[in-house]
Amino acid sequence: MAQQFPYTYYACCVNISSSSSIAQKRSSRVATAHEEDEDRTFDPRSPRANYSLYPLEHLLYCDDCQQIRCPRCYTEEIVAWYCPSCLFDVPNTQVRTEGNRCQRNCYNCPICTSPLQVNPLEHSSHLAPEGSSGASYFLGCPYCNWSSLDIGVEFAKHTGITAQLAKLKSARQSQAKKERHERAENKDIKDTDPPNAPPTHDDLFTNLRSFYKDTLSSTNPVNPLSFDPTLYNSPPSVTRLMNLYAPPSAKRAKAAKPTPMREAHSPSEGFLPLSPTTEDATIARMAQAGWDGLTSTAQRVQQQHPTTKFVDDLWPVQTRLLTRRAKRCATCRHILTKPDSKISSTRYRIRILALDKIPRLSIRALAAHNTPHPSFPITVSSTASSSTTASRFEYESLRPGVMTQYLLTLHNPLFEPIRVTLGTPAVTPGNLASRVTVLCPQFEVGANTDVWDEALNSSAALSSKSKTQPGDAPIQAEAGKVWERGRNWTSVVVEIVPGFPGDTVVEVPVFVRLEYEYEHPDAAVFEKMREEGGAKVLEVPELGKQTREVAFWTVLGVGKVAGG
Amino acid sequence: MASHRPDRPEHKLTINRARPTASVVQPSSATGAPSPHTPVGQRSLSSIYGSPSSSYRSDDDTVVLEIGARYLRAGFAGESSPRCILNFGPDEQRRVGDYRQWDPEYSRKRRKRKKGQEWGQEHELWRMDLRDLDLGLVTDKLERAVREVQHKHVMLDGRQKRVVLAMPPTMPKPLLSCVLNTLFTGFAPHPMGITLVSTPVLAAVAAGLRSALVVDIGWAETTVTALYEYREVLQRRSVRAGRMLSEEMGKMLTREAAKMVGRPEPHGADEVSFDEAEEALTRVGWCFSREQARQHQSAQDFPAGTNDALDTSMSIPLPAADPPSTLQIPFKRLAEPAETALFASSTLRTDLDDHDQPIGLLTYTALLSLPLDVRAVCMSRILITGGVSNLPGIKRRIIQEVSALVAERGWDPVKSYGSALRNPQAILRERDRNRQSDTGPLPAQSPGEESSGAPAADTPSLPPAFRPPERDPIAEKLHELNTKGQKPPSLASCVALRH
Repeated sequence: MAQQFPYTYYACCVNISSSSSIAQKRSSRVATAHEEDEDRTFDPRSPRANYSLYPLEHLLYCDDCQQIRCPRCYTEEIVAWYCPSCLFDVPNTQVRTEGNRCQRNCYNCPICTSPLQVNPLEHSSHLAPEGSSGASYFLGCPYCNWSSLDIGVEFAKHTGITAQLAKLKSARQSQAKKERHERAENKDIKDTDPPNAPPTHDDLFTNLRSFYKDTLSSTNPVNPLSFDPTLYNSPPSVTRLMNLYAPPSAKRAKAAKPTPMREAHSPSEGFLPLSPTTEDATIARMAQAGWDGLTSTAQRVQQQHPTTKFVDDLWPVQTRLLTRRAKRCATCRHILTKPDSKISSTRYRIRILALDKIPRLSIRALAAHNTPHPSFPITVSSTASSSTTASRFEYESLRPGVMTQYLLTLHNPLFEPIRVTLGTPAVTPGNLASRVTVLCPQFEVGANTDVWDEALNSSAALSSKSKTQPGDAPIQAEAGKVWERGRNWTSVVVEIVPGFPGDTVVEVPVFVRLEYEYEHPDAAVFEKMREEGGAKVLEVPELGKQTREVAFWTVLGVGKVAGG
Repeated sequence: MASHRPDRPEHKLTINRARPTASVVQPSSATGAPSPHTPVGQRSLSSIYGSPSSSYRSDDDTVVLEIGARYLRAGFAGESSPRCILNFGPDEQRRVGDYRQWDPEYSRKRRKRKKGQEWGQEHELWRMDLRDLDLGLVTDKLERAVREVQHKHVMLDGRQKRVVLAMPPTMPKPLLSCVLNTLFTGFAPHPMGITLVSTPVLAAVAAGLRSALVVDIGWAETTVTALYEYREVLQRRSVRAGRMLSEEMGKMLTREAAKMVGRPEPHGADEVSFDEAEEALTRVGWCFSREQARQHQSAQDFPAGTNDALDTSMSIPLPAADPPSTLQIPFKRLAEPAETALFASSTLRTDLDDHDQPIGLLTYTALLSLPLDVRAVCMSRILITGGVSNLPGIKRRIIQEVSALVAERGWDPVKSYGSALRNPQAILRERDRNRQSDTGPLPAQSPGEESSGAPAADTPSLPPAFRPPERDPIAEKLHELNTKGQKPPSLASCVALRH
């Protein structure tokens, strides 16, 4: 996997719809009890798992539903549109007409997509025009050295690039059009002539559009004074009914054949007949241009017309606008995050992250216990000095069939202590059947209290197990006992025996269930409100201590089995 | 449009048969209503051929989606090109937070096809064989793509949207319901409605035509659809399409890579990945014209130096090969995959099955099986669309193939008369005569008929289009009966009587 080992993914929206193909459905009669079990193990290797696994940082949390929320279970609302390049705000009304693109001077390189710069053209070279009235700016790519001079585009001003480009493009198009007209008028219609440039896609489209508009309005003249009560003064459904029950003679009159609409005949009506000479010319040009003169798939997708074949025809790409979005829970419509609409500020008005509500699971090899965990590069530890000497644990090459001990640590972000129950399948699903044992599946994690508490209290009271001193005998993990415990974290040992065949990622699905006593932080305030307002205050949350329960699947990536 | 004459002749009226659409609301007094009515919007007048009307209706929020096996295109109605084209490749299907595709090393690693997977299978959204298709996975893929369309490209938020969905006319129902489900839930809060339009019809509309033969060379299959007045009349299909073409290109590049290293047989390490083949195909692939194909085939037997402009060599870099290499391939060879995959020019006609007809033949048979009138209209209106139609030279080639077939076989559905070596025209004439003699034996006619057999045999070369029309006694009689005591008939009724 691309993520560095070890890693943790959280699953959300797993049971939206049961994953079953038609073939499975057909055979489901046999395997009903086995497959359609509600509590079946989450399989991290199934292709569908990719769509429901997220790193914890990407998840939100809905306080009302008390559930994790992922992009599939929240809806988004756009707060603001802005250009990522110039950071200018774009009002809602303009976004659509401007094609979701920045209308200022922001352009991206058509070759490598990096932002283009407006550079002055130096007149010292042979490019200097006779009079200094000529263009004196161009767009240049600071990364790949592409410049708009390659396609013969220069600018008179360094601002309003979009308007200038549009003017240039339309000028070129009208020039080509004029040439086409001249050719069509001067010469006889012969295919043997060297091909003239075919009309552009946009030209054709506008022609076709106006053709349809004209034809439709001419075949159906709109007569606002015409009046027929059966048609215009009754709703369409009544008209339809009248039609149904009308005497057959009237019906026949109505079902008279519609006058057929004319078809488009010429390029000026948006109709483009095939000209073999154009295709021949394209092929000859391809042979000449070579691999580097032709556009790649990635470059083509960037362009407005994805059929651009040659690098010479590439046009600078306007920067696409980005949005700031507020997120709502799809179930209860409560807002989960709401960013500030001002582009310059990165503040959030509302932000409920899963990071603050869900314990963070982190796993690492026990052998690498002394080396800092990748997620926590800086660890204050008495054995920090020895970490450099400790051999680095190779997550990329686990030995199949050999038991490895891992340390699973839960960090509690809540202000209440939680009781955790972990569940894993004894054998991981999928091809690679690894055996997994959690030595202590039930334990408690302390509350996320003030950091000073830990420091002020004596350290002996907190850590249940004496810390291993460097140079001790091999570590002995006991079943049913917590390995280590801190202020708001607890570690337990997990034993994993990777299975065969090798060269596969070992991922362990773990079902986490936690319980905690919860009291509303403003319980006192609500109590007071209730006393004053009597029954009027309706939306008073349940007061008093209540037990809350959260459960979810996680996937621990513990390493990769060495080639087998 | 139906023009309707009501009983009162002073009112001329055009009936709007299109769907009622929102338009300018006018007070009823403006239309001269005699009785008080709630003002009903005067429906905008659009044709029965509804689609173009959207262009001058307020089409602000009409999102157009086209979903194919490998790409999703989305845009707005009234714009000349889609706003975005999203693919369903494996890079789009990763977990959130998996950024491996941005790793500089990523493009230098060749990704092998998984065991048991067909060429390009992981780049597909769906395949039409639903037996081992995971519909849940299809929904997942679609959902992610639709979300991206919504948030990155369309960026219409909260507003009511009308969705137009372009789909092939024959879609398996589970897949269609999958798509509709995703769209109804995905386009938050709710789309106003989803209109399904078939892709061949849209292709015809986009070309400004009402009837056409639409050759759609897609990913999994090529479909040839005959349209008559926007109605689908006939469809023929073949598996010779994008997937086969891309696989053929992969095979050719693999062979070339092996040749460059000096191995007689391609080795596992030489195998070109899907991405490389795809890139080469879309970048430098092309298609021979008919003469070029013939020349190329004969040149393989007798290699002769030609001074053609196309006789250059193309260097194709393979950065993911081990070690990274650059292939030098003659430009002409890059047209070979299309030759093998789409036109099967080196395969014997007898070896071709019904499902893998070459595109030229497929188009011809589709035309042949059309009713005469429809064929006459469609013959001059062959539209070539689909992803592969962007291959330079392919449109020209298809037309050439079809016209060659027509020149060779004419419009005779019988390919071979076998031992009946007699002139088929004469046989037909004889059969015709037998039938006539059965129905009404008129002795006076027989000598004339006997003599008429000879000139037909003399002039077999004259195509039927140029021959004087045959006289049909029954039709003439009917004609006489009809026109008795009436005005001379219009041209339309004549035409109707002929058939």
